[in-house]
Formats: sequence, structure tokens, C-alpha cells
Amino acid sequence: MKSLSHSSRIIKVRAPVDEETIRDLKVGDRLDIWGSIYCGRDAVLPRIAGLFEKNALDSINVHLKGAVIFHTAVSMAGIGPTSSNKVEIEESIPILSRAGVKIHVGKGKLKPKSVEALNRNNAVFAVTPPATALFAAKTVSRRLVAFEEEGMEALYEISMKGFPAIVAIAHGKTIFTQLPS
Amino acid sequence: MLTCEAISKAAAKCLVKAGTTFRKDQFEAYRRAVETEQNENARWVLETMLENAMVAKKKLHPLCDDTGIPHLFLELGDKAVLPAGWLSAVHLGISRGLEAMPGRPMAVKGTDVERVEQSRGLFQNPAKVRAAPVILKPASGDKLRITVLMLGGGPEIRAKTYRIFHRRSMDGVLREAAEWAKEEISHLGCTPCVLALGIGRSHAEASALMLEAMKEGRLDRQNPWEQKLTRWLNETRVGPLGLGGGTTALGAFLKVGPLRASGVRIVAVRPCCCVEPRRATVALRG
Repeated sequence: MKSLSHSSRIIKVRAPVDEETIRDLKVGDRLDIWGSIYCGRDAVLPRIAGLFEKNALDSINVHLKGAVIFHTAVSMAGIGPTSSNKVEIEESIPILSRAGVKIHVGKGKLKPKSVEALNRNNAVFAVTPPATALFAAKTVSRRLVAFEEEGMEALYEISMKGFPAIVAIAHGKTIFTQLPS
Repeated sequence: MLTCEAISKAAAKCLVKAGTTFRKDQFEAYRRAVETEQNENARWVLETMLENAMVAKKKLHPLCDDTGIPHLFLELGDKAVLPAGWLSAVHLGISRGLEAMPGRPMAVKGTDVERVEQSRGLFQNPAKVRAAPVILKPASGDKLRITVLMLGGGPEIRAKTYRIFHRRSMDGVLREAAEWAKEEISHLGCTPCVLALGIGRSHAEASALMLEAMKEGRLDRQNPWEQKLTRWLNETRVGPLGLGGGTTALGAFLKVGPLRASGVRIVAVRPCCCVEPRRATVALRG
């Protein structure tokens, strides 16, 4: 771990992530994420949340304990963050956090209700720039996991070497507090 | 003699350039922002976007995975002689460009209801993404100028077209429009933005003028009103990705059209995201 200042520590994270790693994270920390990341957005995240609530995640062989989920489409154009405050994505955050997701990555300010749900489940929200051309160079592999019929909105799993993100919400604190509501 | 094939090739190349390449004024605006930004994380975002743009340009890779919906702005010279089928050739070029770049395969299948509900899934072919209705304007000379703009989804969630009672004050109109933008940009996520504004007589005209502002605007040539809009947005300190800092907006592009005798102006506002406006222009002699 390299420490530059309180607001810009660079922390290497291996997915799946353990509880202690998350407990140590602070708003403003810069993450360097290695390993497996699930990718999904508007169409598929409510479906995954629904399967968890029915205790049926095993049916698609998805394991969310310690998982990192990136709010993105996956297509031949690459990957990049979509707005996490879209209704279907933001509503999935509390449920998927209960299911074991530890880092949700996307973009945009989230509601206080989401901040509370993340805190309750020792999970964090991180943001990343739409650096699609750079992400391509950091992607080791990608695999279609489920819901192929959703096309670019299907559930994918990618393996990344050094995916960059900044912690925006952690332990009840948010980097967006000072912004206009 | 200009051929349909030449038009298609030019339109395809234009689309790829729009989706993969920062213009010189964009590069320079980011470099200036990196120099002045005090917030360390915000500066990292700006540097990352610059690096991304350099890689994208070199590899002709999409700047962002949301490659956008093609919007076409055509200017037709009064002395231009074009072959029959020229407009279809432009559209064919757009499809070819989407396949070549490639664009994101995000066209929705089905009937009206199925498309709204996205219940039949998506086409796998990026060329199925159709361009928005074309804007065509007359020009002088013998050229057909094709401008391709690629409009991403994030800013569409945050854009607004509405009326403003002007009370004979340009400053008042822009202040109210800036207030709309201020409410939205923290939710946008992909800041720094470029604020595009069109002021017209109807909602359709204001939107067309906003698109024209995106077609013409330059970050290195900002008029005093555009500078003022940028300053107001930067005072929010939303910053890149909403992380705080001084770089919420890189600039503003404003276009005022003909206006009607009334106390009302129709204003379209769109906070273009950090890779926008993605645009490229090609001029063909007809």
C-alpha cells in the first residue's frame, strides 16, 4: 500500500474482497482492483437481486460473497461506468450488498438510503472515469455468466489487472456530501 | 463527380473519428485543467481522461463504451450537385462506421411496446443503431458538410428543455438555465462537463440549436456568456466525477436562434459528459 496523503491513498485490492479490507477503506482512497469483477447494469442487476431474494443464485453459478460489481455494459465497444443512480441500478445496491457484494463501482451521486445500506452491510461505492480505451489494456479475460438475452446488459465476469477507482461512499460518509442535492 | 460510395466512406470515417478522437481544443482544455486543479483525486481523473484520449486516438478505440447515438448535422451548399440517393448514402456510411469503430450494440428489438419495455432484447449488430432525425441547413458554396455527433446516455438523463421568462435579461435567462444544470451535474457522474445551450422559439428548435452549439463550439474560443456559465458551474465545486475540486465544467457552448415576440424563451440545456461533445466534420465537394 502506498500512502500519499489521507485523501489519496492507493490501495491494492484483490477480488473477492474480505470484510477487513473494506473496514479499512476511507472516502477518497484510490483503489487498484485485481481479479474478478462482475459487470451488470439496469437490465440484469434487478434479476440478480431477485434470484438472491429467492435463494436461487446457485442456479446461475454466481457467488457474491466479497464480490466487486461494476455498473457497466460489456460489448465490443468495451466497458465504462454507467450512471449508478438510475432507478434499477440504485435499487439493487442494498440487496446485492446484503448478498455479499463489497465494492459497487459506477458513477454519480447516490441517495442517503443507499449510503445507509452500504454502511449497514460493510460495503462501499467507488467511482471510476469512463476510460474505456485504458480499461481495454487492463482486461485479461471476460466471460458471459448469465442472461445472454440481455445482450450488452447481460451479466459478465471480467478479470482485470489493476482496475482504477476512487472510494466515494464508505461507512456512512460520502464524498458527495458538499454537492448540491 | 461526387458518388454515393464516396459519401458513405466519408460519413463512416467521420463517425469513427467522432467516437475515438479528442479535438485539439479538448486536449488543450484538459491540459489547462490539469495544471490548475488543486484537488489530487480530481487531477488524477483529468490525467486519466487525457491518457485515455491518447490511447483511443492511437488505437482508434472508442473513448467511452457508451459510443452514443449518432446525430447528423448536414450543411448543403446552394451550388452543390449531389447524386440521387445521397442521403441514404450518408446513413449507409453511419452504419458502416458503427460496425468499424465498433459502436455499442444497443439497438432495442421489437414493436413499440416491446422497445419501450425492452422485453425482446437487443440487436447484436452495432449497425442497427439508427441515427436520430437529421438536421439539414442550407449553406453557400458547392460543398456538402457532414458533422457526426455521438450523444451518450448519461447527459440525456440530465438534460432539460423548458421555458424561461426572460424579463428582458440575458443574464437572468442564463442564470436560470445554469441553476437547472447545477441541480443535475452532481448526479451526472461523468464530469467535467461542457454545458450546451440552445435558446429558441419552440422545444424542437431549442434542441436543434443546442445541437448546433455542440457542432460549432470550441473550448479555446469562449464568448463572455459562455465564460460566465462555466464560472457558475465551477463555483459548485462538484469537480471531476463529483469528487470535488475546481473543474466541474471545461466550457459552455451557447447558440441563440431567432426569437419570438414574447416574455418567454425556450431553452434546451445539456451537460455534455467528459468525452463530449464527440464530433467530427467532413466537407465534400459536390
